[in-house]
Amino acid sequence: MNHFFLAILIIASGGALTLILQKQFTFMKAVGVLGISTGCLIGLIDALFKLFNPVSHHLSFNYLNSLSLTFQIDGLSAFFLVAIFAVSLLASIFSFHYMSKPEKSLRTAVNYLFFSLLIASMALVVTASNILAFMLSWEIMSLSSFFLVIYDYQSPENRRAGYLYFIFSHVGAMFIFAAFGLIYGYTGSLGFNITAEIPETVKILVFIFSFIGFGSKAGVFPFHIWLPHAHPAAPSHISAVMSGVMIKTGIYGILRIYTLLDLSTPLFGQIVVIAGMVSGILGIVYALGQNDLKRLLAYCSVENIGIILIGLGIGMIGVSSGNPSMAVLGFTGGLLHVLNHSIFKSLLFMGAGIVIQKTGSRSINVLGGLLKSMKITGTTFIIGSIAISGLPPFNGFVSEFFIYLGGFQGVALDKASFVLSILAIVSLAVIGGLALACFTKVVGVAFQGEPRSNAAADVDEKGPSMLLPLIILSGACLVIGVLPGVFINMAVNALSSVGLAFTPDTIEPFTKITGNISMAALIFFIFLLSVLALRTILYKGKTISRSGTWGCGFTQPTVKMQYTGTSYASFILEFFKPIAPNHEVLKSVQGRFPEKTKYSSRINDIAELHMENVIVRPVLWLFDKLRWIQHGDIHLYIGYILLAIIVLLFFV
Amino acid sequence: MIHPVDTLLSLVLLSILFSFGSSRLPGLIKALAFQGIIVSVVPLFIGHGVTGEGVLFTSVTLIIRGIAIPLCIYLAIKKVGIKREVEPIIGYNASMLIGLFLILASIFAGKKFNINAIGDVSLLVPTAITVLIGGIYLLIARRNAIAMVLGYIMMENGIYLVGTSFSVRVRHIVEFGILLDVLAGVMIMAVILQNIKQEFDDVDTALLRTLKE
Repeated sequence: MNHFFLAILIIASGGALTLILQKQFTFMKAVGVLGISTGCLIGLIDALFKLFNPVSHHLSFNYLNSLSLTFQIDGLSAFFLVAIFAVSLLASIFSFHYMSKPEKSLRTAVNYLFFSLLIASMALVVTASNILAFMLSWEIMSLSSFFLVIYDYQSPENRRAGYLYFIFSHVGAMFIFAAFGLIYGYTGSLGFNITAEIPETVKILVFIFSFIGFGSKAGVFPFHIWLPHAHPAAPSHISAVMSGVMIKTGIYGILRIYTLLDLSTPLFGQIVVIAGMVSGILGIVYALGQNDLKRLLAYCSVENIGIILIGLGIGMIGVSSGNPSMAVLGFTGGLLHVLNHSIFKSLLFMGAGIVIQKTGSRSINVLGGLLKSMKITGTTFIIGSIAISGLPPFNGFVSEFFIYLGGFQGVALDKASFVLSILAIVSLAVIGGLALACFTKVVGVAFQGEPRSNAAADVDEKGPSMLLPLIILSGACLVIGVLPGVFINMAVNALSSVGLAFTPDTIEPFTKITGNISMAALIFFIFLLSVLALRTILYKGKTISRSGTWGCGFTQPTVKMQYTGTSYASFILEFFKPIAPNHEVLKSVQGRFPEKTKYSSRINDIAELHMENVIVRPVLWLFDKLRWIQHGDIHLYIGYILLAIIVLLFFV
Repeated sequence: MIHPVDTLLSLVLLSILFSFGSSRLPGLIKALAFQGIIVSVVPLFIGHGVTGEGVLFTSVTLIIRGIAIPLCIYLAIKKVGIKREVEPIIGYNASMLIGLFLILASIFAGKKFNINAIGDVSLLVPTAITVLIGGIYLLIARRNAIAMVLGYIMMENGIYLVGTSFSVRVRHIVEFGILLDVLAGVMIMAVILQNIKQEFDDVDTALLRTLKE
């Protein structure tokens, strides 16, 4: 436990030191990065050690005698700590060359401070073992990430994104407060250990409240609205941390509440699976419709949260229907996907960060041909894309395959579970296919073809600290994909500490199958590479003529002859029109001498549309009617205070 | 038998009525200074007997509360040339009447609070409440900013009396905490008043209405 707090202390002091040193820009960055990454490294080693030596470690602080903050590291916490520290470590290294504007020195320092606070608070969230400690760390996490989102506060769009995030995180926190309030009301204890004693009906309420609260942090549809706004607004290494691990604290919360409540009804598993399917499919459909690189990745996080929830839900159904191998496969798959997603999503966000920094544009429709000039970024981005689409031999395949296997176990069950299992399998397949379409779109449009603008034409990829994390992360994708055994053991250890790994032995054959498939895919890749190598050798010394990609024999090809992101996705999106309405603006060509015409399209998020119509408008209307209360007369304001005091004194 | 402190407290009650009825700032300031002096003397006579420490604290409190703050405000209005009228929203006669009702209500409420009055000082809690609410009343019913500051100080006197009725031992700590608060508060108000004066050429707080969104 002491190593853990040492790590937190080093991280926080690294962040705080940057404020003092903000006059020397490079030195300040070095101190910040060094402090944060050292702390993360210590934390990572400590968490790995604890994960493989499963003993729970306690620590408590007493504050004002009555209020105690207690922390505890068990296997589940250690598993999340591994993801948190690993991704934060690489993100902080990435930030060294990414934060490259000396004129924004103070702002960069503040960014490092809040970054360190975010890492520390995330680590505390997953280790907190009573209500107070949890809510305190949760709020620090929400607030520090809010300040990170409004890093570029001069743009009104970013301020709006920050505001939206602020509202969502606090409405979510309110629901969590309500859930914890119910727990406290029935147990009379701030600790989490006797939560299972509350009555069954209250448990349902607690679970639903906390599901909404944690779901809004995790980005479960329809509480995901802040996500595609806030993630693009933040600097890329922050997006990587937020999307890679911060939203996973929501998953942690759901899983933790589930284990604490010790639920037996199948209802919860069903809720979670359905929520997972909806956010998975809708998330990836909206991702497909985006042309802003980071917005696309943010929607893709919604999709992956969906996959994780499907896994957890299958596990829950397995528990309630007494099918241990279904339970263990679902939970292991879901939990492993948490780790996997944090790896490839931070890889993709950092890759996107390099692209955005070098080209200055977030829209993939003005990029193109980047693979030629940014070899490492391009290659690692492709690896991340294959992994996120759930294809072997990378890590996304392993976890998704486990969830599939869990789903197939559920086919043998009774009616409701049968239907849900089938639906889960089908939607996983749909999600996988759409994810592949989505990432072929990104890779094809942004990294291949010809540059569509001057900004995309002359780029380089200087900045070794930005490339190193990409290489490490893509290496991790491959290692987990090819050797899944160790990592599955990690997830099983995490689950057994909270009593969810019923028969870990049953998982052995499945691990083997997964490893074999990955290995076969790897052999295929190696074969492909050796063919390429052979080709290079054979063609040595011969002249090879090169022409533009998609040249197709045209004598005067232009870059406009390529597919754009919009046109590539439009065939698929046409099918999903009811849930992803396409808002098109087209001035059609008229007359013999037509004017210059324009076309623009935007895929609308139905959750966002309906939130505006159903919640925002009525609330605004109501508060507009109450405007007379704010009349500007200071005397009446004091009168309000007096009235409130009197009412409180006599009626409460 | 009437406790001697009760006599002092009845003077406080009279000072409230006087402040409700006074139309000029100097009069109001004098009433407040008088009230401050009595309020700071009260704790000396209740609780444990007169000690050297107690006398020291009382005299410091008395100097700040009864002399320093009122004097500062008095000098300030002379210097800045603020209107002498308190500009009431609710008239003086009506205010007096409200003050009387306030005293009655406070006696009624004081019983409900069930605070064990120290010794047999039966007026302590009602007076404390009256001073507190009276201060808020001045804040509400007077437009002149200085009068509002005075209302705030009166409120603070009330808080001090409430503190007196709650505890005897830790009173000084509480009191100095509050005094520090008040000093900071008065300073902030001075700055704000100067700004209002510069902006609107007057310290009539009704003008703040124009700042409304």
